[in-house]
Amino acid sequence: MAEIYKLIHPLKYFNDYISREIRPDGRKFHECRNIKLNVNSLKTAEASAVVKCGNTTVVCGIQLELASPKAEEPDFGYLVTNLELPALCSSKYRPGPPSDHAQVTNYLVSNIIVNSKCIDLKDLCIVPDKLAWVLYCDMVCLDNDGSLVDACIIALISSLKTLRLPTVTYDAETEDINVDPDIRTPLKVYGLPVATSFSVYKLPERDILITDPSIYEEEMCGGIGSNFIVCSNQSLLCGTQKFGGSNLPPESQEEALKISRDRANVVEKVIETCLANNCEINEI
Amino acid sequence: MPLDYRRFNGPEDSVSYKRYTNKYYKGYDELYKELVDDKGRRKDGRALDEARSMCMFFARTDLISQAKGSAYIELKKTKVVCSVFDPREIPHQNEFSQLGQLYCEVKFAPFSCAQQRRPHVDAEDKSLSVALRQALEPTVCRHLFPNYQVDVFVYILEHDGACLAAAINAAGLALANASVPMYDIITSSSVAIIGKKVFVDPTEAEEHLAMMSPETEGTNHGIITMSMLSELKQVSDFVQIGSMDIECVTEAMDILEKECENIVPNIQKVLVHNVVQSFNQRKQLEAEAKEREIALNVKMEEWKKLLNAG
Amino acid sequence: MGIEEEKPKAFQLKPMKCEFNFLSKSDGSAILSQGDTVAVVSVNGPLDIKSTSQSIEKSTLEVLYCTKGGKPSVADRYKENVIRQTCEAAVLGSLYPRTGITVTIQELEDFGGLLSCCLNCTCLALLNSGVSMRCTYAAITCAIDESGDIVLEPSKQHLDTARATMTFVFDSREKNLVTSVTEGVFSEDTYKEALARCHAASDLVFNFYREIIRKYANVI
Repeated sequence: MAEIYKLIHPLKYFNDYISREIRPDGRKFHECRNIKLNVNSLKTAEASAVVKCGNTTVVCGIQLELASPKAEEPDFGYLVTNLELPALCSSKYRPGPPSDHAQVTNYLVSNIIVNSKCIDLKDLCIVPDKLAWVLYCDMVCLDNDGSLVDACIIALISSLKTLRLPTVTYDAETEDINVDPDIRTPLKVYGLPVATSFSVYKLPERDILITDPSIYEEEMCGGIGSNFIVCSNQSLLCGTQKFGGSNLPPESQEEALKISRDRANVVEKVIETCLANNCEINEI
Repeated sequence: MPLDYRRFNGPEDSVSYKRYTNKYYKGYDELYKELVDDKGRRKDGRALDEARSMCMFFARTDLISQAKGSAYIELKKTKVVCSVFDPREIPHQNEFSQLGQLYCEVKFAPFSCAQQRRPHVDAEDKSLSVALRQALEPTVCRHLFPNYQVDVFVYILEHDGACLAAAINAAGLALANASVPMYDIITSSSVAIIGKKVFVDPTEAEEHLAMMSPETEGTNHGIITMSMLSELKQVSDFVQIGSMDIECVTEAMDILEKECENIVPNIQKVLVHNVVQSFNQRKQLEAEAKEREIALNVKMEEWKKLLNAG
Repeated sequence: MGIEEEKPKAFQLKPMKCEFNFLSKSDGSAILSQGDTVAVVSVNGPLDIKSTSQSIEKSTLEVLYCTKGGKPSVADRYKENVIRQTCEAAVLGSLYPRTGITVTIQELEDFGGLLSCCLNCTCLALLNSGVSMRCTYAAITCAIDESGDIVLEPSKQHLDTARATMTFVFDSREKNLVTSVTEGVFSEDTYKEALARCHAASDLVFNFYREIIRKYANVI
């Protein structure tokens, strides 16, 4: 019955829920979905993480390569992040080259990582002007159920935190490179950027801010890609992005900033607990 | 290779660090020795004719909320996800097609192999997609959705051998999960042949060696993947790569047939679990609906009384 | 037919110059310069588009962004998305179902604040094309320099040394935030202050819109 109602009166169906202070999936307006995180489950990647925020699933794998640094930046390494939205994650995507939406999300994620300065590219340089690490961080979305950027950032950061770089010896005279994969040093990660997505829904008398929206809620609130995304890295903001959709009054913004602070703490705890567990397993 | 404008690109001259480790270059004999120890056990402790279907097999459905049906299969390290979507009209087609079509796509994750895979559709992806479609077509009742196509997407998260077999198993399970009408349960398995040794359900290293041609000519080597419809006892797809004599092939087919049958109970278990679960869910929903109706009736009575009272 | 705005007293915005109907073949076009930064926008529509991208509820907006270099990149797609989403909030698309509106933007000169220049120019071109709009919008860029001061409409030199840059878009009716794009790291208080400053400065842009429309309305 409810399903038919939803099909025939999509707006009214959603409105009925929101005006009764609850969301269609039973959450309160500012309740986030559960986060499940697992690291190092893929053995072909140097470091990997699988994250589930509600139904949204993202897998991240990092692979290491060596290359010579750019001539204009001789003591910088490379960090190449790419997000793949294959057709299997949602019926909205078609197979083929990345769609505009995929490219935009991809840019957003890599922008957050660059802006937050959580990786110092100088740490990735081995010998200036000669040799540097290239980190290929590939994220794959297996199930897109909204708030994709949040999940991507969690997956990316937790896999960066577990990454351990092999030792490289470089002979300056013979230009000989030798890698010892058994002795590894962890990569330094400065801070912990966390992104939180919000959707804005306009009721006639007031605006409602919805935290961690599902894909259905995103569609109802001004379409996919009009989320308000707040990223913070240890109490500093490193990006507040919003693209069109319903406009956002200052009060809602205050609220969003406060919620994103709380959520950053929760996510931090999740990642730390997971990494600690992972260390224990490794020691045993 | 043209630069991909739709992604972020790394430097062009980057190479995997593994090339500079001591263990990178290995001869054929050395690799061969590594596969099997003195007691005839493989690296992961299996016997030569032991598949991963018994204890290293894990399957589940319904993991992708956005898809109609989905399945995940894990053969120890080989990890495969598959999702199936609602039938849709065949795009760019003018003629009426009597039979519905299956659109299959197999993709490797960039981090699925030891070497980085560039995110282009390469020949391997394409040949696997074609093999998957050929395997699935005989098992789906295609006459029930003429002029429509069902999308089957397979994503390989980690590749450690037998990925086509895993993809077919996962696709079969996902199709059943999406309640696409099918004639039979489809299962698949593969073997790698190196000389006289037959590796059932091979790992990446074993497949790699089987694809290399040995120095002595005339030795059997190659990979065979076969998919079976279990009840009908029919072979739906047979893919052989490499060269081997006829005896070897028939022998391998016997092994594969047995292996395919071994997987059937695994798949059945998942499907039955599915059905039971959905029945339970429905029961619960019906009970809830009834409760609501009773509550509503009580309210109606109250209102009626109020109305009658004026 | 350039019209120069008088320099405001409270805030210093770069001088804006605009010309409508710059391109003769398109339904609406505008060229806008904010200081040395220049962009041209043409708007065509509502027109017929292929059935796959038609929507029965509203008109489909297509935004094409061309850089000076001409090579496409992921960053361009991102800019297109910013502009498209912003326009979508402003255009009354539901009046033209099953049609498309094409917006083409060509970057001419970039001396800082290109994104806000493109956004403002798009708004003017949409006004010129006669497409029905819910409201107009104004984009303002600001930078936060090393010492933490906020610089409105920064120059190229400012941008190179800046800790962060932010672009905000406000709508004309409720003066609320429509789009926000930021780069770099900043504290929450700086963000709020920058937002307030840009909010105040957006009035100047709206005044400029009004003035230029009045001038053109008189000519017609």
